[in-house]
Amino acid sequence: MNRSPRALAAMVVAPVAFGIAFVALWEAAVKVLDLQPYFLPPPSAIWREFQANAALIWEATKVSGSNALVGLVIGTVLGVALAFVLSRFRVLNELVTPLAVALNAVPIFVLVALFNNMFSVTSEVPRRLMVTLVVNFIVLVNVAKGLTQVDRTHVELMRSYAASEVAVLRKVRVPNAVPYLFIALKIAAPAAVITAFVSEYFGGSQNGLGSRIVGNIAISKNATAWGYVLGACLLGLAFYLAAVLAERAATPGRPQSAE
Amino acid sequence: MTNAVDVRGVSKAFNRGRPDEVRALVDVDLAIEPGEFVSMIGPSGCGKSTALRLMANLLEPTSGDVHVNGKPARKARLDQDYGMAFQQAGLFDWRNVTKNVELPLELKGWDRSRRRERALEMLHLVKLDEFAEHMPWQLSGGMQQRVAIARALAAHPPLLLMDEPFGALDEMTREHMQAELLRICGETSTTVVFVTHSIPEAVYLSTRVVVMSPRPGRITDVIDVDLGPRRDVDTREDPAFFKKITEVREALRGMERASSSEAAGPPQPAGMEDR
Repeated sequence: MNRSPRALAAMVVAPVAFGIAFVALWEAAVKVLDLQPYFLPPPSAIWREFQANAALIWEATKVSGSNALVGLVIGTVLGVALAFVLSRFRVLNELVTPLAVALNAVPIFVLVALFNNMFSVTSEVPRRLMVTLVVNFIVLVNVAKGLTQVDRTHVELMRSYAASEVAVLRKVRVPNAVPYLFIALKIAAPAAVITAFVSEYFGGSQNGLGSRIVGNIAISKNATAWGYVLGACLLGLAFYLAAVLAERAATPGRPQSAE
Repeated sequence: MTNAVDVRGVSKAFNRGRPDEVRALVDVDLAIEPGEFVSMIGPSGCGKSTALRLMANLLEPTSGDVHVNGKPARKARLDQDYGMAFQQAGLFDWRNVTKNVELPLELKGWDRSRRRERALEMLHLVKLDEFAEHMPWQLSGGMQQRVAIARALAAHPPLLLMDEPFGALDEMTREHMQAELLRICGETSTTVVFVTHSIPEAVYLSTRVVVMSPRPGRITDVIDVDLGPRRDVDTREDPAFFKKITEVREALRGMERASSSEAAGPPQPAGMEDR
């Protein structure tokens, strides 16, 4: 994993150059084609709005971000715990895993509308509950796979050592599941952010990034809405990077899983 | 003197009583004395790996008895009376080389310093001293297999069971590993049961070669190999070595002819030692 400085530079320079070119093209297209601000505002206007509303965007980011974080943490803990239970009892695993996979394939965000009904209008609980559910499935499916799909040779070796079930769990299954947990986190962290602000589209307090985007579009403040979109992108990116850094910290020197 | 391995009247069937029942082994008798190096050779499906797994008590026989070190196989497994190595080195990616070798000792409840001392001693034996702190994926296939051998012998078991351990290595590495294995087992006076597809490998390593036939798996021939101490390349160029290779090949061919006249199946390719 020791990339040479040159390779690292190439890795950074190319996407940055592409990003700058893309923004420049966008700006030029708006000017040349004389696009109206309600259709597509130029990046310069979005940047101005982003700066002008920085404090508000930060407040909204904190709301959506903390919903995402709370859901991510609880969902991960629950997912890991359930994975242990399911991998211990094969029958349960065969019952629950297909269900979890199937549920994960449907847009379960819509459940948040029902959760909103259960709690008070200003409660953040429905959104956090939604994030928890989404994260829980991702973590559960991956970690259960890591705990059960163990190298056949490892199983035979442990049997030849007369190892107990507990020893096999501690020395083989759990370490085998660690990379799977981080694969799950790298999917779940951005998904948590997306779920947190999509959940805001279904009513409740108007304080997060999602509701601010909708609110500003409603009053035709398009560039401002785009400013919040930029905030949302940065939040998602921050969550993903945190997951990647956590993986690097937990498994130093090991070949990283596919990113 | 107790036999290292005693297999008496052993049969093994998989999926018993079902239409897809497979008679993997039928009426196998084999006694192996301490200090012997016995290879089991035969085409795919002759049950040689099954026989090895019965000795290791990774499988239970359908009928018959397996004793290891004078004890029932299960007791021998629980006492860790043997070490085992597979075609896949089966190292644990999350443990460094030393920690991999320490694993069987950890499960025996040895304390840290004693484990470490023994692991380093084993790594010295397989000439990997400088790689003690490396991670498995930093090593070549041959080096990984040497770690696996060090791990199998870490608890100083009297018996080593090996299932095609060099099958995935290239020819040069393979010959080197064979010589190393003989040296290591000589130094530790370990009895070895070695499953292989390769005729030269079986002849080079063994004091006895057990020839097996498939469908159902049984022992068709046992060939004594007396080439004296084999430490150098000269053995591989010795006419006596070639004579033994021919003898084993004839035994495998004879069994092939017998089975093809019985079953009229497609003839087995002659180059089965390459598989």
